[in-house]
Amino acid sequence: MDKKLIKSSACEIAKAIKNRETTSSEVYSFFQKRITKLNPSLNIFIDIYKNSSSLGGLSALAGVPIGIKDNISIKGKKITCASSILASHKAVYDATVIEKIKSSGLSLMGTTNMDEFAFGSSTENSCYGPAKNPWDKTRVVGGSSGGSAAAVAARLVPFALGSDTGGSIRQPASFCGVVGLKPTYGRVSRYGLVAFGSSLDQIGPITTNIEDCAHLLNVISGFDSSDSTSAKLEPGDFTESLGKDIANLKIGIPKEYFDQGLDPEVKKKLDQAIDFFKKKKVKFKEISLPHTQYAVPTYYIISSSEASSNLQRFDGIRYGKRVEADNLLKTYQKSRHQGLGNEAKRRIFLGTYSLSSGYYDAYYLKALKVRKLIKNDFDQAFQELDAIITPTSPSPAFKIGQKTEDPLSMYLSDIYTISSNLAGVPAISLPCGFTKNNLPLGMQLITKEFDEATLMKLGSAFQQGTDFHKKIPELGNV
Amino acid sequence: MFDTVIGLEVHVQLNTKSKIFCSCSTQFESPPNTNICPVCCGYPGVLPVFNQEALRLGLRVGIALNCKINSSIYFERKNYFYPDLPKDYQISQYKSPLGYQGSLKIDAGKKIGIERIHLEEDAGKLIHKGNYSLVDFNRTGIPLLEIVSLPQLTSPKEAFDYLQSLKLILQYIGVSSCDMEKGYLRCDANISLKKKDANIFGTKVELKNMNSFKGVKAALEYEIKRQTKQLKDKKIIIQETRLWDSDKLKTIAMRSKEEAHDYRYFPEPDLPDFAVPAELIKQERESLEELPKARVERFIKQYQLSKEESSLLVENKQLADFFEKVLDFFNEPKKVYKLLFGPFLEQVKLLESGFSGIKISAKDFAKVVKYFNQKKINNRGVKKILAIAVPEKKDIDKIIKAEGLIQLSDQKGLEEIAEKILENNPKAIKEYKQGKTKAIQFLLGQVMKETRGRANPQLVRKIFERRLKE
Repeated sequence: MDKKLIKSSACEIAKAIKNRETTSSEVYSFFQKRITKLNPSLNIFIDIYKNSSSLGGLSALAGVPIGIKDNISIKGKKITCASSILASHKAVYDATVIEKIKSSGLSLMGTTNMDEFAFGSSTENSCYGPAKNPWDKTRVVGGSSGGSAAAVAARLVPFALGSDTGGSIRQPASFCGVVGLKPTYGRVSRYGLVAFGSSLDQIGPITTNIEDCAHLLNVISGFDSSDSTSAKLEPGDFTESLGKDIANLKIGIPKEYFDQGLDPEVKKKLDQAIDFFKKKKVKFKEISLPHTQYAVPTYYIISSSEASSNLQRFDGIRYGKRVEADNLLKTYQKSRHQGLGNEAKRRIFLGTYSLSSGYYDAYYLKALKVRKLIKNDFDQAFQELDAIITPTSPSPAFKIGQKTEDPLSMYLSDIYTISSNLAGVPAISLPCGFTKNNLPLGMQLITKEFDEATLMKLGSAFQQGTDFHKKIPELGNV
Repeated sequence: MFDTVIGLEVHVQLNTKSKIFCSCSTQFESPPNTNICPVCCGYPGVLPVFNQEALRLGLRVGIALNCKINSSIYFERKNYFYPDLPKDYQISQYKSPLGYQGSLKIDAGKKIGIERIHLEEDAGKLIHKGNYSLVDFNRTGIPLLEIVSLPQLTSPKEAFDYLQSLKLILQYIGVSSCDMEKGYLRCDANISLKKKDANIFGTKVELKNMNSFKGVKAALEYEIKRQTKQLKDKKIIIQETRLWDSDKLKTIAMRSKEEAHDYRYFPEPDLPDFAVPAELIKQERESLEELPKARVERFIKQYQLSKEESSLLVENKQLADFFEKVLDFFNEPKKVYKLLFGPFLEQVKLLESGFSGIKISAKDFAKVVKYFNQKKINNRGVKKILAIAVPEKKDIDKIIKAEGLIQLSDQKGLEEIAEKILENNPKAIKEYKQGKTKAIQFLLGQVMKETRGRANPQLVRKIFERRLKE
């Protein structure tokens, strides 16, 4: 059974529970043992729960354990955001997605490592130290939802939740060889997700395959009156699109995404994926998204501006770390100085500067205008296209420590994922091959707003014809 | 030598049932930190949800103050660190206020421009104890409306009148109780002096921490003296914020412009834009209560009251409402007014909760006025009845009966009593005949004493006048 569990998708595990081939508690303790065994060398989980606190439920995923990125609020449990300023903080309420997960009968396995407050692309900016890539422990897992992606890749959980502000689900999914979806902005409630860039953040599923992705999206999506930015839409069933015919769909290849800087191995795998789709009668067209080159600076101004304000509440007054000092100002300064890591400080400086009087128009306001242009690029492209294909990241997972001293090159590893957050459109990363050194690579598919269905169609067609997503990293005898 | 230029910023609590961005109660005087939730306490991951009732109430103010209304509004974050502000930013409005370019007529008939009105959330309350401080978050997130006047007030008296007029309007349209002691209404003032009739404004100073309208007036008066002296001494006015010290009766420098916050306003990404539908504006405009100025005019016309009488009534909305209800039962405005402003208000003043505590119905009060008018009871009877029936629900006729308050107007009976009093007071008769007409007052008093206050004083006076001339 154990060997089977590792190879099983979340849906298959749910089915096995339903057919009484196993029980949810057997499944839970299997994964718990696996985590206990492997986590010390991988540093993927921050908090490992002792029991599932599952309430039972009748959903298609009932009884399946799930890992949660440590920036999503679970009542009574620690929520650290991998920051020492929150290291001892326990959440006082359930995020909307957690309520949904609980009522669907999923089992909470624990919380996963991440970049502090989701600031990063490697999960190295964690107060708990970097998570290690299960495919090569000297390499990063990507970030910021690196723990969740690596947990799924190493089969420490069948699936997990991450959050994506500029690629934080898709880039680690690509680095770890799993499926990661950033839903349309407004598709999934943000209530209970510790805010980074409020106008960009989305919670999304990280799974081993597209079917699980569709099922998990069914569970977590939907209108939420507690989140004023959540979309008022009738709940849909994303699994209906799985296996649907993709012939005659039109996919755009944006030339700006295949420029210099793209690793030749990544390029080669993308070409192979395009050939695969062509054989399925998908039509391709080279297109231009002319404002792509401005995406990274635009993103860093907007996300850091919002973050600088969002992080003000971590001030040592009501919860989290407080460093006692002589007066109020010093209490703020010391608590934040000691409680926040370097990358968090860098983003706060950047955002505070961009919003300051005298600079607001030149930075923040201009960034908002460019954001509109970027969105227009996508709107225009989707008038004649069903999807856009790009690499997820310019390279496979890099070495731990390789980019920590060079923030700019770290920021550029999100160059292909950032635009869809700025535009609010959904995007998915799917495993599309391996490098010569057996490192997984991902491709990204993007559609128009609220058209996750097309991503499901294309993803399931691709996974029916390939087996990249079935490969599991060799982690020795467990 | 100098002209005074004053602008006022008033914050008023809108009386919604729940807070502006969460569903916590806005109940005043709840035990500390009982009306709180993760949202208003700024816990990680929470999101605001806009209470549309605050929009509706704010809209009423905008309409009453003749503001232009933005058809779509959005909120912004005002960023600054303070322990009473759990998120360390306040959700407020900056570039798209709910209303702008309004006006308010003060008593003297002068129109004061309203620059803008905007919605925002209140902060918590700090309680300082020795070497530590406590925070009460009950008030955090209570909806506030900020009303900013143009710098068109030219004296502390005008500022005071502006505040009175504004408060009255806000009470009339039912958006706030405006109780300054409870912090439902707060006022900051900007003041500068300029050379007489000059076009250029002087350097402005912001005054804070006034906790009554009188305090605002006093702080402005102090500040005029201070600034005048500075200017006469050829010293410059520093652009700064000064705090009013109501014990020492002076303003004290708090922070200069250089130390002022950079609030880094930017649009609140957690809230979308909100439409202010024309339909809603129409509905609120149509349902808006009669405003105080209009009511004064109507009272003068409809009830033939003087301007002063009408204003006195209208200034107290509850009293004016009661007045009109009484008229439904006894339509003699002048007569009702007289008893309302005399013996009735005397009793109301004795009540701890003021007008809200009265137990007498308009119908019963009308009865009292009617009886008085029919000379069934006299002044003392009225006082006695109200002393009983204002603080406690009682039947008027039963009181009259139990207390024996029916006025004695029977000519023959009164003559008999008068005769008896005259017999017993020859000294008073003598004095009267010597020209001391006041002696008649003494005799009248004796009759009232004899009748335990029930005698009709006019009748008794006439009897004495006739008898003493004989």
